[in-house]
Amino acid sequence: MPTIDRVVFGDNQFFGINHMSQEKALALAMRFHNLDDIFTVYQAAFDAGVRAVMLNSNDRAAAICARFRDRASQYPALAWYPSIPYPHKYANLVSEKGIMAAVNSVVFKDTGALAGLGKLAQGGLALVSRDIVQLAKMLIDAEMRMFRGLDVRVVFLQNVLTDLVLGLGVRDFFVEYTEHIRRKYGATPGLITQNLPLLRDRLQEWGVEGVVICASVNKIGYLMSPGREAYEQALADNNPARYPVMAMSTLASGAIPAPEAYDYINRLNLQSIVFGASSRSNIEQTLRCISPQPLTAKVQLQ
Amino acid sequence: MIINTLNVGVVGAGRMGLTHHSIMNTLPGVKVTAVADPSGAVTSLLEKYAGVRAYKDHREMIEREQLAAILLCTPPAHNYEILRHTLERGLHVFVEKPFLLSSAQAGEMARLYDERKLVNQVGYVNRFNDVFTRARQLARDGLLGKVLRFRSEMFSGTIVREQEQSNWRATHVNGGGAVYEMASHAIDLINYLFGTPDRVEGTSLTRVFSRDVEDIVSSCLFFRSGLAGTLYVNWSDESYRKPTNKLEIFGDRGKILADQHGMKVFVREASPAHGFTAGWNDVYITDVFSNVPFYLRGIEFTAQLDDFVRCIRSGEPPRCSFADAAATIRVVEQLFSNHTAITGGLN
Repeated sequence: MPTIDRVVFGDNQFFGINHMSQEKALALAMRFHNLDDIFTVYQAAFDAGVRAVMLNSNDRAAAICARFRDRASQYPALAWYPSIPYPHKYANLVSEKGIMAAVNSVVFKDTGALAGLGKLAQGGLALVSRDIVQLAKMLIDAEMRMFRGLDVRVVFLQNVLTDLVLGLGVRDFFVEYTEHIRRKYGATPGLITQNLPLLRDRLQEWGVEGVVICASVNKIGYLMSPGREAYEQALADNNPARYPVMAMSTLASGAIPAPEAYDYINRLNLQSIVFGASSRSNIEQTLRCISPQPLTAKVQLQ
Repeated sequence: MIINTLNVGVVGAGRMGLTHHSIMNTLPGVKVTAVADPSGAVTSLLEKYAGVRAYKDHREMIEREQLAAILLCTPPAHNYEILRHTLERGLHVFVEKPFLLSSAQAGEMARLYDERKLVNQVGYVNRFNDVFTRARQLARDGLLGKVLRFRSEMFSGTIVREQEQSNWRATHVNGGGAVYEMASHAIDLINYLFGTPDRVEGTSLTRVFSRDVEDIVSSCLFFRSGLAGTLYVNWSDESYRKPTNKLEIFGDRGKILADQHGMKVFVREASPAHGFTAGWNDVYITDVFSNVPFYLRGIEFTAQLDDFVRCIRSGEPPRCSFADAAATIRVVEQLFSNHTAITGGLN
């Protein structure tokens, strides 16, 4: 039976992502320009007891994965929580080429054996709608290539995609995604969302279970649609064996001091927390604040 | 209270069409029932998986479906003809920016839709950003004293390679280029804050990777009141992870530096009413954000469609009407003619 880690170390700080301030984001991007600086922070997290890592499949992640693979003996055994895809890559490609050509360029790049299928994306209407499921799986596999050889526990879909498809109301997408992740990667499917109450309700209606939901949860209700009260209600009546919840943005990008933030978080029905920090002292402080359960505690899934 | 379900059709199934479709579908009392796009590749998938009816031709969709409103997300060169049709059918319309490519057509549509009392809105989404609306309010409250100068800038890494010709974005005729697609946002922000500038000077449009359209836009904008400012837009700047607007407003009592995520406010004297001390003050998005019923790619897209629906139900005017967008197109035309007068064409 699969389990998830209570505490997962996130990656936003490494890639110039800060939802509160573009200035802070730029400063972070500059600080972590060099891979060695990223690994210094990882080492601090490992020293503090962290054994699980979330990493988005962006253009720098491949090099991070490669180092973890190549120097495996230097690091503790890690549980991996990849998130796919890197949305901005697609956003720019779609602006440049249009939707189908963008898909084409991602799926068929570096996959010589599949090059013949390139025709598929060039607009054959019947072909596209018949093979869209296959095409989506190929996109997932293209994103997952960089994580090969790592111990992948949960594969998360980025919120921009989860929420787009959630709004469109495409049940089949969630069914196919969750099955593909289980079958092909032997991992638990995960969905990142900024709309936890709606997503959880729809998944229940659709009978899609055994999915880790990762969502912003914080005291000020930031990035929590439709609002904090709806989240608290949804969490209170949530069955964690069916939909374990991993909280992100617990500090609301730094707007809430850690002790105050986790005083709120620790009262909620949350199974896991992903947090990012870029200094040893912040990592240690956050870990002290996260509920008294041991860091290595695992939550069993159905 | 019983609210009649609002049936909505989406024209154009590109990135913005899909985004608006998804958001609209989650708003209370609203249902997207049909989509139209001539390519058919994406709409046939939506028909199969998202339970909407798909059309290749928007006219057929409008004739066959019982729609109250349309979300128009097509390249702008198509919009005039489509808007004439939706006007005849009495539909409320939300149009993606830049709306239309000529101020004459834009002004005409603004007048006709207002006469028919149809809600008409354009997707200049910065008007729904919580930081920019707060900055506007602070300026209007007189916090900065008399406003004398501004800078409105926008950056992204959208076009960072040599461009193929096939894309509609590659020509001005179709509404492509950094002026229509990005500078329009930065201009609309100026219009929203200060009204429409009276004069455009010193325009420079420069190619970096595109062949027939500009990638960099700079210009100076003047108001009769003495207010003046600069516009600088660059969509070939790879150092930006995502599109970013920046705004600087200088007045004789203070200034504001703002982007979508926060602002720094400098005031010469403390303003307890606004919670500001003398000198620098930080305002983060986490201080001013509002929640929306559904989040996709930021809160702004949902906030603007929520406003569109609210205006349909209440009859109130939208925050960004066709007339507002027509004013932006007038400035765009001035940019092009000013640049041509200076250089005779693209640099």
